[in-house]
Amino acid sequence: MRKIVIDPITRLEGHGKIHLFIHDDGSLANCYFQVPELRGFEKFCVGRPVEEMCRITTRICGVCPDAHHMAAAKAADAVFGVTIPSAARKLRELVYNGFYAGDHTTHFYALGGPDFVCGPDAPPAERNILGVIAKVGLDAGKKVIAQRARGQRVIEIIGGKKVHPVTALPGGMSKRITKEEQQEMIKIGDDMVEFAKFTIQVLNDVVLANKAYVDMILSDAYTHKTYNMGLVDANNKINFYDGMVRVTGPDGAEHAKYEPKNYLDYVAEHVEPYSYLKYPFLKKVGWKGFVDGKDSGVYKATPLSRLNVSDGMTTPLAQEEYERFYETLTGDRMGKTPVHSTLATHWARVVELTFACEAVAQQARDEEITSDKIFEPPTGIIGEGVGIVEAPRGTLTHHYKTDAKGIITEANLIVGTTNNNAPISMSIKKAAEGLIKKGAPITDGMLNRIEMAFRAYDPCFGCATHSLPGAMPMEIFIHDAATGEIVDSVRRN
Amino acid sequence: MKPMLILCLGNDVLTDDAFGFRVAEEIEHDSAIRAHADVEVAALAGFALLDLLVDRRAVLIVDTIITGNAPAGTPHFYPSGYWTPSRCLVSSHQVNLPTALRFGQEMGYSMPECVDVLAVEAQDVWTLCETMTPPVQAAVTKAVLRIDDWVREKRRSVVLHGKRNKESALAG
Repeated sequence: MRKIVIDPITRLEGHGKIHLFIHDDGSLANCYFQVPELRGFEKFCVGRPVEEMCRITTRICGVCPDAHHMAAAKAADAVFGVTIPSAARKLRELVYNGFYAGDHTTHFYALGGPDFVCGPDAPPAERNILGVIAKVGLDAGKKVIAQRARGQRVIEIIGGKKVHPVTALPGGMSKRITKEEQQEMIKIGDDMVEFAKFTIQVLNDVVLANKAYVDMILSDAYTHKTYNMGLVDANNKINFYDGMVRVTGPDGAEHAKYEPKNYLDYVAEHVEPYSYLKYPFLKKVGWKGFVDGKDSGVYKATPLSRLNVSDGMTTPLAQEEYERFYETLTGDRMGKTPVHSTLATHWARVVELTFACEAVAQQARDEEITSDKIFEPPTGIIGEGVGIVEAPRGTLTHHYKTDAKGIITEANLIVGTTNNNAPISMSIKKAAEGLIKKGAPITDGMLNRIEMAFRAYDPCFGCATHSLPGAMPMEIFIHDAATGEIVDSVRRN
Repeated sequence: MKPMLILCLGNDVLTDDAFGFRVAEEIEHDSAIRAHADVEVAALAGFALLDLLVDRRAVLIVDTIITGNAPAGTPHFYPSGYWTPSRCLVSSHQVNLPTALRFGQEMGYSMPECVDVLAVEAQDVWTLCETMTPPVQAAVTKAVLRIDDWVREKRRSVVLHGKRNKESALAG
C-alpha cells in the first residue's frame, strides 16, 4: 500500500479528516483519523514562571478551560511543594463539579442526543440540538439553558469569572466566597439535582425504551475491549479532581493504580508518520498497533472508562444509576464486569452528570467553603510537579519542570482526547468496515454512523480552528488501497 | 448590562488570533464606545457564547477569518444572518456562534436582533506567539474606528426601539 504523507499545511487546515483505504474486493485496508490540535504548547511554556500556567493553559481549549486551569494549579502546587488548605481544595472540587455539570449537559443534549432523539439517519439539518428541541419540546431546551447557566454561575462565584476561571493558583485559591454566595450555590445544587433526574428520565424515555437503540449500543460495530483509565479516590470511587490513576484491563481486573507523579512509569506515547498526534499506550503492556484485547496497550479514558475503573459513586442517586447501568448492560450491578460498548459512553456521561450535580449540592453545604483560610503561600521549591484531573474528555495530565526560580524548563501535557486517539481510530475503522464499500456511494446516514463511533468520545479539536466561521467541516476520503488515489470524498460543513 | 455588546473573540497566544483581544484593549478606555456598549473578551467556543448573547439587543463580534481572498489585515464586515448554523456536530468545538444564536432564539430567550461580525483577514492563527503579524497589528486602529461607527449607528436604532417600546407601553 502506498505510504501516506500528510504535509503540515494540509494538516493545519482545521478540518477533521478521515482517510479510508479500500481493497479491490471492497474490504477496508486501513483508516486514518486526523484532527487538528494546538501544537507546540509545551515549548511555548518554557521560560515562563510556573505560576502563570494556571492562566495561560486555559487558552489550550475553548471548551474546557476549567480543566486546564485545575490541572495547571495542581501541577504548580506540586512544583512548590505546597499543600493547599482544606477549604481551598473544597472550593476547587466544587467549582470543578459545577463545570462538569454544565459540560456534560451540553454534550448529552447537543451532540449525543440528536443521534437518538432524531435518529441516526435523520437529515443533518434536523439531527442537531434544534431537532432535539423540536422533538422533546421547548421546556426541555429551557431546562438545558438553565442548567448551563447554573454551572456558569458556580464558576463565576468561585472562579472569579464565568468566562475563564482565574482564582486557582499555587497554594490554593485567591478569592473567598461569602455566606450569601454559599446560599446561592446550595440552591443551584438542588436545582441541578432536579435537572439530573429530568435527564435520567429523558435517557429512559428516548434511548433505553427503544430496543433498536439499545441493540445498536451493544452491537459489535461499536465495541472495543480495551484497558480503561480514570482517577479514583481512596475507596476506588470516581473523583474528577483528585486521587490515584487506576487502570483496569479488558476483563475488569486492576492493571495499575498509581500516583499522578508516576505517570511516566505507566504511560508511553506511540508516533505514526502520518499524524502529529501521539498515541498514548500502557508501557507495561506495550504498543501492538491499533488493536484491542489484553495484549494491546491501547486504553480509553472517557466517562465510560471512569465508570469501568471505579467501584461506584459517592452520591446516592449517581450510585443508583451506576448500578442500573451495569445491571442493564452486563447483569452485574456492582460493575465488576466492564462495559466496552462505545455508545454506552453517552449513558455513562449521564451517570457522571448526576454525580456532578449531587456533588455541587453536597459540597455547597460544607461550612468550610466560606473560610478565610484558602491560601498557603509557597515557601520553597521542588522544581517538578505533575497535576492530573479528569477532564470531561479524559484524563488530563500537566507535568512541569522548573529551575530554582520557578521558571519552566520543560513541560509535558497529555490532554483528554489524546489518550483516546488510538481507540477513536479503531472505532472509526470498525464502524466504517461494515458500511463503506468501494464503488458504492457514501450516504449521509453512513457518514453519520461513522461519526457516531467517535462522537461518543467528544473529541477535542484544536482551538486554533475557533476562528470564523467557527465550525469545522468533516471530510471523508476514500482511497484505492493499491494506488492511494482518492476515488471518492464527502464533506459536511 | 448595556443593550449593545462588543464581543471580542480569539486566543491571545495564537499570533493573529489575538486580534479581538488587542481591539478590546484599545476600546477599553474609549468613552464614546464604552458609554453605550459593554466589551467582553472570550477565548471560547460553542454554547459558552450563548451565555454572552442573552439579553443583548445588538452585538458586534470582533474576530479573525481566513478567506484566502484578501491580503492579511483586510477587514471584512458580515451583517446579521450571513453565517449559518453548523450541521456537523461531532465535537463540542463544532457548536458555532450561529447555532448557539439560533438555539437561544428557539428557546424564546431574549436574543440580539442584530449580530454583526467584524473580522480581519488573518495570516497566522496557528502559531503559539503573543505578537500579531504586522498587517493584522496595523488593522487594530481601523477596526476601532469601524466599531465606533457601528456603535453610533446601532445606538440610533436602539434608542428608536426604546422609544417605540415606551410609546406602546403607554398606549397599552
